[in-house]
Amino acid sequence: MEAFIDAAQLAMTPAAILAIGLGALVGLVFGSIPGLTFTVALALALPITFSMDAVPAIGLLLGTYIGGMTGGSVSAILLGIPGTPSAAATVLDGYPMTKRGDASIALGTAVIVSVFGGIFSLIVMIVSVDIVSRLAIGFGPAEKFALVLFGMSTICGLCGGSLIKGLISGVLGLMIMTIGLDAIDGVSRLTFGSVNMLQGVNLLVALIGLFAVPFIIEAFSGQGDAGPKRVANVRAKMPSIGLLFRNSWLMIRCSVLGTGIGAIPGTGGAIASFLAYDHAKRFSKKPKTFGKGNIEGVIAPETANNAVTGGTLIPLLSLGIPGDPATAIVLAGMMIHGLTPGPALFMNHADEVYGIYIAVVIAYVWVLALQLVGIRLFVHVLKIPRELLAVIVLVLCAIGAYSIRNSVFDIYSMAVIGVLAYILVAVRIPTTPIILGMVLGPILENEFRTGMMLSRGSMDIFWTSPVALVFFGLAALIIMLQLRSELKAKRKSKQPLEVSDAS
Amino acid sequence: MTNQMQDTILSCIFLVLAGVWIWLVATTIPGGFGRGDIGPRAFPLSFGIALAVLSGGLLLRSFLMRADANSDSESDEELRQEIRWTPALLVLIQISLYGFLMQTIGYVIATPIIIVTIMLISLRERSIKKILAMALGITVGTWIIFEKLLGIYLANGTWINVG
Repeated sequence: MEAFIDAAQLAMTPAAILAIGLGALVGLVFGSIPGLTFTVALALALPITFSMDAVPAIGLLLGTYIGGMTGGSVSAILLGIPGTPSAAATVLDGYPMTKRGDASIALGTAVIVSVFGGIFSLIVMIVSVDIVSRLAIGFGPAEKFALVLFGMSTICGLCGGSLIKGLISGVLGLMIMTIGLDAIDGVSRLTFGSVNMLQGVNLLVALIGLFAVPFIIEAFSGQGDAGPKRVANVRAKMPSIGLLFRNSWLMIRCSVLGTGIGAIPGTGGAIASFLAYDHAKRFSKKPKTFGKGNIEGVIAPETANNAVTGGTLIPLLSLGIPGDPATAIVLAGMMIHGLTPGPALFMNHADEVYGIYIAVVIAYVWVLALQLVGIRLFVHVLKIPRELLAVIVLVLCAIGAYSIRNSVFDIYSMAVIGVLAYILVAVRIPTTPIILGMVLGPILENEFRTGMMLSRGSMDIFWTSPVALVFFGLAALIIMLQLRSELKAKRKSKQPLEVSDAS
Repeated sequence: MTNQMQDTILSCIFLVLAGVWIWLVATTIPGGFGRGDIGPRAFPLSFGIALAVLSGGLLLRSFLMRADANSDSESDEELRQEIRWTPALLVLIQISLYGFLMQTIGYVIATPIIIVTIMLISLRERSIKKILAMALGITVGTWIIFEKLLGIYLANGTWINVG
């Protein structure tokens, strides 16, 4: 208790609260602008923290991380373009809600469930930091490969009516990510001697291209829905208590899922949100309304991706293993301030660790306040005529693509990928599985090859791990369920097929 | 064009893509050392084969659906979206030109030029006030927010450098 009071004294100073608020604001802004993720924001914020005390400094970084994770949903819901990869699943139902005129409810619900997921994961983290981190650290390449394969199986739930087209889309994503320098042997793959191609296609550049460019083309050609009519009546509207109560069990399940996934290094918000979306769709009473603006399709991914924030802190604080690039920057910030993560951290710096817990809570309070006030501002985005908004989006996308590596090559890549994505959508190939393939492809390959290296070429490593077998079984189950539902749909040939897509 | 016909063409394009991909991978990427070593070629090659198999499946399905007179083509027709080639190509050219100009004359000059171009060509806007407001507003606004407030580097230009 004494340590907690000391920690509160560290984290509740005006400077610390303001630093966390600043981080949350910057994270929200960066997270909501497509292409400018919180990873970029964290990299920019790190030098600012050098002159600060440890707790406000880490608070600022965590505020940026949490703000960014939540902010990704803003552009996902309003524009249909995910601000961050972890918000890609939110587009599927968030954007149709905006088209229907329910943008405010979608945004309001997203922020409430985000805070719920985040606080839930924080509590879980505090309670089970030791147990969960021991479990997660036990994951070797075989288990991670199986987990990623399980993540890939969610493509089935995202391909709508045609499993084969969804799978083609997923394979395209996997293929794109093999271009560039091979991570294990350092061999250049399909680079055609170009230095720019050595780094491969950047995931963020591809994300901007896949989601933003088709929006720009449609806006310029007068295709799609004209927003202003509906937008004129949009008001800031909070979700009712009844709605939240009805979905409380879903929120808890997705929070558990997000926290668990977050605790496994190398996974992250994107996998968690897609798995949560798929889970919500499978267990929903109205699975056919998913992809058409079902609020559960916003609640599930947003709860899960924010629950990841608490989950990633488990291996970060207890073992010093960052789960994703963003937490790697937080780790760097901690080490700069003399807080070396590991079992010794809890013995030597208990005050600071509790201070960090309190900082996370303060960050969520800031995010809640900023988002709730900001909803009124955010909905005004929709009052801008669609084609003019597209001009602004085009400039922001170019800035976003360029700023990732200060490379014009990324702007060209974005343009090409975007136009191809537009054509794919027009020929009814869903683009979301491409993202899943791109996110999971490199992990899938690296873990498989590392596993094979460890086992000296024996596949037994994958069959002898009970955890891996469970994930393989779950993946097979999902594929079988999808095949069954597709066969059922074929039999009812008169009924229209459902197409789910992110654009 | 019916959806089945579109699927046939699409699957043929993907089959060609898979073939070219497999050929490129097989000829340019070295394999593993054998005895269970998974080299850098294995995954790109297996993805190429997977694409070929899936495209073959799609081709087969499109033939089967064509043969089936009672297929659900009517419902599918509604979901199809017409490809507007001109705006798509224009956007490709505009973004590429923007990238080129950003690198050569810098963000501050390239942005208003590209916005004016888009407003005139893609949006067919003729109001000088609106065009200027958009060009200057977006350029100045984004420059202040990104370059000055957030400290993000925006291209300076290699031919002309206005900072």
